[in-house]
Amino acid sequence: MKSTLIHLGGHPVTRRLGEALLTLLGVSVLTFTLLRVLPGDQITSSYGIDAGDLTKSQLAQLHAYYGLDKPLPEQFLSWLHGVFTGNLGYSSNAGQSVADMTADALPVTLELAVLAIVLALVIGIPGGMIAASRPGALRDGVAQTASLLVLSAPVFLTGTVLASILANSFGWNPNGQTFAPLTEDPLMNIQQMVLPALVLGVSIASPIMQTTRTAILDIRGEDFIRTARAKGVPEHALHVRHVLRNALIPIVTMSGLQFGFLLGGAVVAEQIFSLPGIGRQVLLGMGQKEYSVVQSTVLVIAVLFVLVNLVTDLVYRMVDPRVWSR
Amino acid sequence: MSTLMESVAPAPPARRESLLRALLRNRSGLIGTVLTLLVVIVAVAGILGALPYDPAAQDVEAALQSPSGAHWFGTDQFGRDVLSRVASGLGSSLLVASVSVALSGSLGVVLGILAGYFGGVLDRAIGVLTNVLFAFPSLLLALTLAATLDRSWRTVALAIAVVYLPIFVRVARGPVLTLRSADYVIAATATGQRRLATLFTHILPNIRGIILVQVTLTLSWAVLTEASLSFLGFGTPPPAASLGVMVYDARALSSVAPWLLSGPGIALIVFVIGLNMFGAGLRDVVDPRSGVRR
Amino acid sequence: MPTRHRRTTRHLIAAGTVVTTVVTATACSGTSGSSKGADGPLVFGISADASQLLPWTATAIQSQQVLGQVYSSLLEQDNHLLPGAGLADMPDVSKDGKTYTFTLRSGLTFTDGSTLDSSDVKYSIDKVLDPATKAVARTSLSAVKSVSAPDAHRIVIKLKKPDASLLAALSSVNTAILPSNKPLASLKKKPLGSGPYAYKSRKPNQSISLVRNPHFYRSRPGLSALEFRVIEDQNSMVSALRSGAVDMAIFDDYVTTKTAKSDNVTIQTVDQLNYHALQMRPDSSTFQNTDVRLAIQCAIDRKQVVKTAALGQGDVVGPITSPGYASDPDARPCPSRDLKAAKKHLAAAGKSDGFTFTAIVPQGLYSSASDEAQNIQSQLASAGITMKIETLDSSAYVDRWLAGKFDAAIALNGAGADPATTYTRYFTSSGNFNKVAGYHSENLDKLFADGIATTDISERREVYQKISRELEDKAAWVWLYSGRQYIATNTRVHGFQPVTDGSLQSLWETTLA
Repeated sequence: MKSTLIHLGGHPVTRRLGEALLTLLGVSVLTFTLLRVLPGDQITSSYGIDAGDLTKSQLAQLHAYYGLDKPLPEQFLSWLHGVFTGNLGYSSNAGQSVADMTADALPVTLELAVLAIVLALVIGIPGGMIAASRPGALRDGVAQTASLLVLSAPVFLTGTVLASILANSFGWNPNGQTFAPLTEDPLMNIQQMVLPALVLGVSIASPIMQTTRTAILDIRGEDFIRTARAKGVPEHALHVRHVLRNALIPIVTMSGLQFGFLLGGAVVAEQIFSLPGIGRQVLLGMGQKEYSVVQSTVLVIAVLFVLVNLVTDLVYRMVDPRVWSR
Repeated sequence: MSTLMESVAPAPPARRESLLRALLRNRSGLIGTVLTLLVVIVAVAGILGALPYDPAAQDVEAALQSPSGAHWFGTDQFGRDVLSRVASGLGSSLLVASVSVALSGSLGVVLGILAGYFGGVLDRAIGVLTNVLFAFPSLLLALTLAATLDRSWRTVALAIAVVYLPIFVRVARGPVLTLRSADYVIAATATGQRRLATLFTHILPNIRGIILVQVTLTLSWAVLTEASLSFLGFGTPPPAASLGVMVYDARALSSVAPWLLSGPGIALIVFVIGLNMFGAGLRDVVDPRSGVRR
Repeated sequence: MPTRHRRTTRHLIAAGTVVTTVVTATACSGTSGSSKGADGPLVFGISADASQLLPWTATAIQSQQVLGQVYSSLLEQDNHLLPGAGLADMPDVSKDGKTYTFTLRSGLTFTDGSTLDSSDVKYSIDKVLDPATKAVARTSLSAVKSVSAPDAHRIVIKLKKPDASLLAALSSVNTAILPSNKPLASLKKKPLGSGPYAYKSRKPNQSISLVRNPHFYRSRPGLSALEFRVIEDQNSMVSALRSGAVDMAIFDDYVTTKTAKSDNVTIQTVDQLNYHALQMRPDSSTFQNTDVRLAIQCAIDRKQVVKTAALGQGDVVGPITSPGYASDPDARPCPSRDLKAAKKHLAAAGKSDGFTFTAIVPQGLYSSASDEAQNIQSQLASAGITMKIETLDSSAYVDRWLAGKFDAAIALNGAGADPATTYTRYFTSSGNFNKVAGYHSENLDKLFADGIATTDISERREVYQKISRELEDKAAWVWLYSGRQYIATNTRVHGFQPVTDGSLQSLWETTLA
């Protein structure tokens, strides 16, 4: 659950860019530090107890191989240097460069996030409109309660229950198959995506519904709507043409936020439904103590998150000049 | 989740007196209060050990019994009473959530007020900190933090506190910016009161309402985060009961003992619904503008 | 230790296959919605990726399972885990037991068509012995003095001293024969062996695809293609089996396995040699006193541990589980729970009021660890002993375990058919893991030396019974139980012979209906 816009005065664009870079550097330093404090390293993680059979010189060689023999600042700088030259590191477990791994994993998470947002909009906007159509009435209460219910059910619970019911009672478990990338087997891909996207979509439908409801109520009170109504524009047309269109701004903003959140927040769904996405890549990297995998992947997520926020924010400012005054 | 500062303006001081009464008059406020109280009573019973069974006591003869009069939620493979474990799990959820929100709330509000009131370099430094914490995927951040230190509920609480710190910074900072220029704060400064005292005597009471709302909402997120961390294997360690761990363990046995899944699952949902409705009600009361519109 | 690091289990020399039950399906849903052809691919589900692709350094069971299909060794284990002919026939052994002469089969090739001859064998064994390779089998080949290849078909291995476990070591995937003309760096990415299946491709954390090697030296492998598919989640694995997406998988969890049973899925139960134990470190100040350890030994009802942590699916064992040498689980102080005796031992140790210790418990290595810890904790509590649980993630646990930085540990340790390979490294004063075990004595050092030198089976048996007695009488550790494994196969799969501990010796002969 991430916050909305970053409120600062000054020259927004340049200042925002500088801020973004500083943020990303901070994220990198934080990740790096946390990883080095984690107990265990890649040697014990890949050799297991057989690391006990390694001689001192073998251990030293392995440390050198994994780049663990250098002082910490040097390790960080060499990783950073790599990032600037397009080298995100190498995963010895996957036998692939982190850039290649990310190129495979990122589309999975992006697809999941897009599907989840679409589902959330499909549920959230009509829900919010129904709730706003008669504030305080029964339908409002029902919609609000439903939204609270889904907001309160954690993804790991709904995911677990849904997956086990469908698999045990209907024998339907597309996620047991090898993951099918969208470009290779779209039919299977959609089957594998539908459950996790549904679970995630429902979980973020609630804030979208709330935003829709508030935005509609807000705009209905605005002068130009009253004027339009006074002019005799039919209620139905008024609703679609004026109210909803104007309410779209905060809805789009909220969707952008949720999208940013999903980049890292999909990890539970990816784990339950065995999707080779970017959150799972971080989780696996942490388990295997592959420092460069975790560092680079977290950085990629952070870059996307910052970008999405930046774009959302700028779009918001362009569309709604009132924000400038804040 | 959006922070509240867009929709919530500082409440006029006069409204505070009737806060509780107003809350109970509000529909979701009432339901939320009742549900939360119910869960808190059970959770406190869990913390104090006032339960039908010792949640850790094993009775192998009574293993994997379905719900009955003696065991309302059934028993697990150790013959432990699931109801007692759910209560004790709610207890540790409540403990972790309140400690983490207390930590992030107090530190975050102080940082937010300082940043908003003094501005300048301090504001920018705190801004960078919150931006970094925001840009780090929250669950992954909590997970890494929790894995870094000892396995204990304190570590989990600390990890969750760090994740939600920036929200409080922003919630507190926004209104302070507006209030800073308000007449009575300027007046107070002019009378020579020390700046720090100004913060607390004038600004804090004014932002109390929105912070209270944020605390309630964050509590529910903290409960969910704790459960998710436990589910992923980074939460409160055994034998302490944890709802997330119970759900995780129940998966393997779900075909022979579905009650192992339903007990903790329902408890978790009721807890979070309670907190969310309580928070929604509170927001209606604290933010009269949104209340009118609703 | 951890199942995934069971190197020792590969060195099996006695007949130890015990297939106990074959449970056939009861009715349930389950569609065999697969359009796969009769001869493949067969999809084998594994719970973790096989990321170590160099057989000499492969320690994880999943990597060994995959590489066992891609590579051949000088000798191969048969379905009873005995070493038998492989790339070479059984060797001629000199009278002094120090010279082994192997003769390779003729016409051997790697799967790329290049010739496999004695130079590849010499290269491979030399490389395994080279410390720079960091091969895990180096210690088990430590008796080797030299390897020579007098001609293209013959290999002569000279030993420093006789070693009965040499043949077992040479039949392991950890001593597989690699082509001498390919750089190791390229083999790490693209394995190339002479096994029944040839490596085709890998999607990290998803799957590894193999195709039939039509020139396999034994005969034509049963499948045109074989795929190892990574499914971490056990429940997903079950549904994949039931829906026919996966044809075979190995489970160590009884309940999960039961849910996999259906019209088209058969479950076979296989005993394991690995043992679950509560390791105490007698070297630590907490457990220095033998009475303290005996108190714990007497306070634990092992059957209850099996019942709760393994849902009754396992057998109480003593230290040695190797068939032919197995310890009698009743030949120990307090064979069944005896709280009075526990109290007496506590009193003798001057701790009548009980005491507190901390046990490290792994998370993510094997599923029963946390359950075992919780049950033992509860049992010890009723004897006045407080066991604190410190849960560690797998890599942190292995770190602490190897460094001997713990008082007690919940552990699942690998065991081989030969008790020497299983325990020498733990309980001799010069053993690599003696710091981990925390216990040694002059008597044990001598007994282990005797055990290796003795060739007569019944004499050997006696030696290991003595070792077992000392370990139990001094309660060096508390040995708990051995679990079972469950092999779930689709009914389309034919010809697979389950073997103890998840080895896949007969997978190459397996066919699909």
